[in-house]
Amino acid sequence: MKMKKQLSMFFTVALAMSMIGCGGQKAETNTKQAAPTETSKTETPKPASEEKVKLRLMSLSTDENQIKILENYIKKNLAAELPNVEIEFEPGGGGEDYSNKLKTYNASGDLPDVWYSEAGFATAVISAGNQLDYTQYITDDSFIKNFAIPEALKFSDGKIYALSAGADTYFTPRIFYHKDIFEQNGVAIPKTFDEFMAACKTLKEKGIVPMSIMGKGGWAPQLYMVQTMIQSEDPQVALDLLQNKTDFTNPVVLKAVKKIETMAKEGVFPEGVANLDYGPSLELFTSKKTAMFGGFSWETANLSADPNIGMFMWPTSNTQYATEDVTQFWGSPLNGYAVNSNSKNVEMAVKLAEYCVSQEALFYAEQGSKLNLQTNVKVGEQSELMKENIRLYENTKLKIPTIFLNAMDAKTGTEFGTIGGNLLTGAYTAEQYVEDFNSIWQENTWFKK
Amino acid sequence: MEKHYRNKLSIFIFAFPGLLLFTIFTVYPILPQILISFQKHDGFNSSGWVGFDNYIKVLRSASFWRANGNTLIIVLISLLVALPLSLLLALAIDVQTPKTRNFFKFSSVFPAVLSVTVISQMWVAMYEPQWGLINSFLRSIGLEGWAHQWLTDKSTVVICITIAFLWQYIGLNALLFYTGIKSIPKQYYEAAMIDGANFFKASFFITIPLLTDVIKYVLILSVLGSMSLFAHVRVMTSGGPGDSSRTVIYQMYYTAFSTSEFGVGSAIAVLFIIECLFVTVLINKFTAKERIEF
Repeated sequence: MKMKKQLSMFFTVALAMSMIGCGGQKAETNTKQAAPTETSKTETPKPASEEKVKLRLMSLSTDENQIKILENYIKKNLAAELPNVEIEFEPGGGGEDYSNKLKTYNASGDLPDVWYSEAGFATAVISAGNQLDYTQYITDDSFIKNFAIPEALKFSDGKIYALSAGADTYFTPRIFYHKDIFEQNGVAIPKTFDEFMAACKTLKEKGIVPMSIMGKGGWAPQLYMVQTMIQSEDPQVALDLLQNKTDFTNPVVLKAVKKIETMAKEGVFPEGVANLDYGPSLELFTSKKTAMFGGFSWETANLSADPNIGMFMWPTSNTQYATEDVTQFWGSPLNGYAVNSNSKNVEMAVKLAEYCVSQEALFYAEQGSKLNLQTNVKVGEQSELMKENIRLYENTKLKIPTIFLNAMDAKTGTEFGTIGGNLLTGAYTAEQYVEDFNSIWQENTWFKK
Repeated sequence: MEKHYRNKLSIFIFAFPGLLLFTIFTVYPILPQILISFQKHDGFNSSGWVGFDNYIKVLRSASFWRANGNTLIIVLISLLVALPLSLLLALAIDVQTPKTRNFFKFSSVFPAVLSVTVISQMWVAMYEPQWGLINSFLRSIGLEGWAHQWLTDKSTVVICITIAFLWQYIGLNALLFYTGIKSIPKQYYEAAMIDGANFFKASFFITIPLLTDVIKYVLILSVLGSMSLFAHVRVMTSGGPGDSSRTVIYQMYYTAFSTSEFGVGSAIAVLFIIECLFVTVLINKFTAKERIEF
């Protein structure tokens, strides 16, 4: 009976433990993976010409543009361009899911041959020695000559870890709006933050939800809202944050964050915005349930089909700068197609990455986007929305890199979103935000690298 | 023959394969995690040993205690509300006609076999503040004031996730109880009825006492299942707004994978193991009765 009890106890405990089970063998696998790039290169077996090389490609599968690039360009032209390659396509999800999936693959030594890298997690993969430095490969095969500004590909250590068409350097925060809703309700494009709030009030009084954004996980505050509000108060503070010359107790930050708190409390966003995902937030806008959509210019191509949609930039509060003078830009040399330095077919993986980025460039070039990777595409008639996007970009006098991508380590960046998400509930003050986030900022290791 | 099955060697031989698998796949992987919990570790590289620093950091973290509070709420609701409801549902299934019983049995199992993502997304849609079923219903019956931002209000978000979670598994628990009820000999009920017992008395004095083993099994499953709630939180709120709907398991995942503090995440895991062991001992202590043979 006693033994039976002990066995019963053991199974119960084991069941409890199995609920907790979480991979903890990171260090061991890691040491096995960290092979130098040169070794991988020299040991790459040459596949027999008749047999296909199998490669695994992981892509962002929640990003509308990336889905189109994969389905309409990469898959479509693959057989003609890379006849000896057989691809196993792996949809990676998006956002935090994508990041965590990659980190887990990195830790378990199961990274795909090629994947779409993002700055938010790339440093972790690079520091583990798993992300290939392209420099030698793309110099040897002259692919680098296709880039108008090859220096834009280089990370701070001078190496090239990702191949990007370069469209994301031109991605900036934008407010998309329905022209007819504005006209019917007597609302003009706001030039100052006060005008913006007045416009939102007018729309709200007419029963229209002013603006949808993605609030889940604090996405909008994390990617652009906090920075945009800081810039709209004083661009110098954003530049100082990028160089760690100030912190989040700066009074300008408080004033900036106060604006987000005000917007949430005044009902600028839909109810429940703090839990609103990207797709539904865009859907609210395209189905005209909201008058505006706060996002990035990467939606321009998708929204161009509707001539009723226009765009403008986030209005300023600083009399020294006009609204169109300052913007944040998204690009990072760590965004783009990356290759596993431990791939069994590194050279073919590089070819695949080069092919993917070329297809990405084709897609954006056909939309009329500006690119770093040059193509032979002759741009046809651009949509009015795209023309407006390019006009706004070219007129901007000061372009500031994204703080989230260029000044925060993984923990700080994540908490930047989580704590920022609180602001959207309307039950969290700017003062609390400054207090909570500044303590995280103080532990930021980005500038200690 | 039965004697053979009762000696220690036989028990060991039969239990050994299971024990071996549990040891390899469950116990062993925890050991490196314990080691990592004493290191500054980003998931890929260790920056060295830090003693109990990770544990101190965890124990001083408001988010960790909030996550523990949320987990406790979920476990309590599971025990005090969901478990009795499951039992009631099982008793209700038992008194149905065979045709309606099959319908109820199917309805009980159906949510449990659906994907957690499907269930969670369905509940997210139901809780949606503007056009969601719950608020729409409340508005339609004139209770406009009760309409609420269910998943973005810190005071309601945990309860809402718990409801979605329990809704999925309450039927499965009921079915387990029902299976136990079916194994109770009918003569006991017949004798009780002759003595004048009604449905409630029979349930209280016959069914429940004879279901002790099943209750214990469902209790352990419910408590551990509730404590390890993760997927519903991940899909429905990602732990938000802020950290207000994180469970301990979600806090561990967030710390390890999102903020890349694997050392701290492992410390949370170790503390959670201790919590689970404590709860397991408690359950065994309070349910360690001699089995009623019938």
